[in-house]
Amino acid sequence: MTEQIQDSLAVEAELPSSTMTVNLGPSHPAMHGTVRLIVTLDGETIVEAVPEIGFLHRGFSKSSEHSTWHQVLPYTDRLNYVSPILNNVGYIMGVEKLLGIKDTERSQYLRVLAGEISRITDHLTCIGAIGLELGAFTVFLYAMEARELLWDRISELTGARVTTSWTRVGGVASDLPPGWEQKLRDCLPRVMELTGEVDTLLTRNRIFIDRTRGIGVLSAEEAVDWGFTGPCLRATGVNYDVRKAHPYLVYDRMDFEVPLGASGDTYDRYILRLEEIRQSHRIVLQCLEQMPPGPILIDDWRYALPPKKEVFGSIEGVMAHFKLITEGIQVPPGEVYVYTEGANGELGFHLVSNGKGKPYAIQVRGPGLPILSALPRLIKGHAIADLIPIFDSINMIGGEVEQ
Amino acid sequence: MSQALVDLVRERFPDAKGSSHRGDEVVTVRREQVVDVVALLRNQAEMKLLRQIAAVDLLTFAGESTGGGALASIEVPAYALEKKPRVEPRFQVAYNLYSIVRKQSLRVRVELRSDDLKVPTITPLYRTADWWERYVFDMFGIEFVGHPNLQRLLLYPEFVGYPLRKDYPVRKRQPLVPELDFPDLVRGPGPGPGGAGVPMSQTHVGRQNVDPDAYD
Repeated sequence: MTEQIQDSLAVEAELPSSTMTVNLGPSHPAMHGTVRLIVTLDGETIVEAVPEIGFLHRGFSKSSEHSTWHQVLPYTDRLNYVSPILNNVGYIMGVEKLLGIKDTERSQYLRVLAGEISRITDHLTCIGAIGLELGAFTVFLYAMEARELLWDRISELTGARVTTSWTRVGGVASDLPPGWEQKLRDCLPRVMELTGEVDTLLTRNRIFIDRTRGIGVLSAEEAVDWGFTGPCLRATGVNYDVRKAHPYLVYDRMDFEVPLGASGDTYDRYILRLEEIRQSHRIVLQCLEQMPPGPILIDDWRYALPPKKEVFGSIEGVMAHFKLITEGIQVPPGEVYVYTEGANGELGFHLVSNGKGKPYAIQVRGPGLPILSALPRLIKGHAIADLIPIFDSINMIGGEVEQ
Repeated sequence: MSQALVDLVRERFPDAKGSSHRGDEVVTVRREQVVDVVALLRNQAEMKLLRQIAAVDLLTFAGESTGGGALASIEVPAYALEKKPRVEPRFQVAYNLYSIVRKQSLRVRVELRSDDLKVPTITPLYRTADWWERYVFDMFGIEFVGHPNLQRLLLYPEFVGYPLRKDYPVRKRQPLVPELDFPDLVRGPGPGPGGAGVPMSQTHVGRQNVDPDAYD
């Protein structure tokens, strides 16, 4: 018996025990954009992972500093390109905070409405991708069908699926098109039905649970320490949602709940996003009910473009238009940090104005950056196959992380 | 609410300056104090969430208006910058802190002179400071003393200059990075194509040291 044990020890001792370095990305189907992971493996176990980012760096801050305040808006579309309206809203609220103005009431409802639709599309993308990469292709197709229904509504509203650039200082670019509300009311049940299909396919699926439960666990203290916000933080049980903690726009009039997880694992991050879709659906319906008629843009030509009738029909209109386009909005000097709840967490903009027509400094806090920085911590000790669901569940978006 | 935080800092650090703009509370401290101030806020005001570390280069802050719109690409030329009086302290580093429990936020600001761009790191206090400090180093060239791995975050190691400094031209081109020797993919480390005198055209990536029969 002892000899046998010694024999088996001898056999094990001869197995090669050196680690192996594997490059994942930057062009890898599971890397969602362009991030490179240098993974050190011991067999199938991840010993160490070093993320290398920046392949999608477009010089957001530098470009913005050489544009007028309004010209920055299209750049913000490209930060989180699965929920661009949330970025538009977050940025424009920063400019409005610097100016000390507020948009009209109807515009606030419109921003919340379109923002929550964008949040649903973002979560659907994330959930669909988790399903796809764990082998549940049907889930992906259901999620994409639902997402496209909503993106059709977004494109009818803003003129573009993802490059929306829809907000303006003091309001939004366009009101609801005729018949749009009914179209949205018609497609929302289908979206929720498809979400329900995803739910029934994954939530109690044995394979899915085995692949995600207890994988990539982070405690609440650690998550805060790593700078987590959004669904990834709430999955650990920390109740922090900017919409509830510091209600902006008309979120204080909305009746919705902030779902919380308990264990902070991949499964919780998934189930939380699913529940947030339902809550966003509630907010959308409440917006449609409560939205008052009225102007969608403030009537102050120092900040908002005059209506075309005035531009072509009055000298004041021409002048205001000309000044706004050539010189930009004159924002008084100051420095603010403005934060809103993006789909992945707190989307922050650190804005500095020196009183001229262009932003003096803009730095964005993409919610994905702190979360991605914790990826080595999340995947350490897991098998390489677990990397995929963990990476999916943090929903890293190259645009906002790499700016 | 947040005024209490400024008072808390000023109690321990009397020379800290408090200010406020549009409801954002800011406390400006000396560079040597920053770790202690942040630790104080973290431990006594429950500011456990470091939202972001941002930096500002004040070089052209007081500059004349350069317009916008069609003129957006026009920037301050280099000769104009040389004639300008030096702005000191030129850089600011801002730590945006937040307390989830108390729902309070505060910005800690440090001012830096351009001849001494060093700040002590706060990575022992916040794990998330790791990447934010790398980001600020990457974009502004501000060194965080004591950081465990202070490398560029978004840009590549061969990048010349710091792009978010105001004297970095927006249309500046970077030199091409020469191709590096890389290990033979089949046999492990060794001279790769483009190195060791082997012309690129005569090599085939990863195969130049391999016995052709090995593939048959």
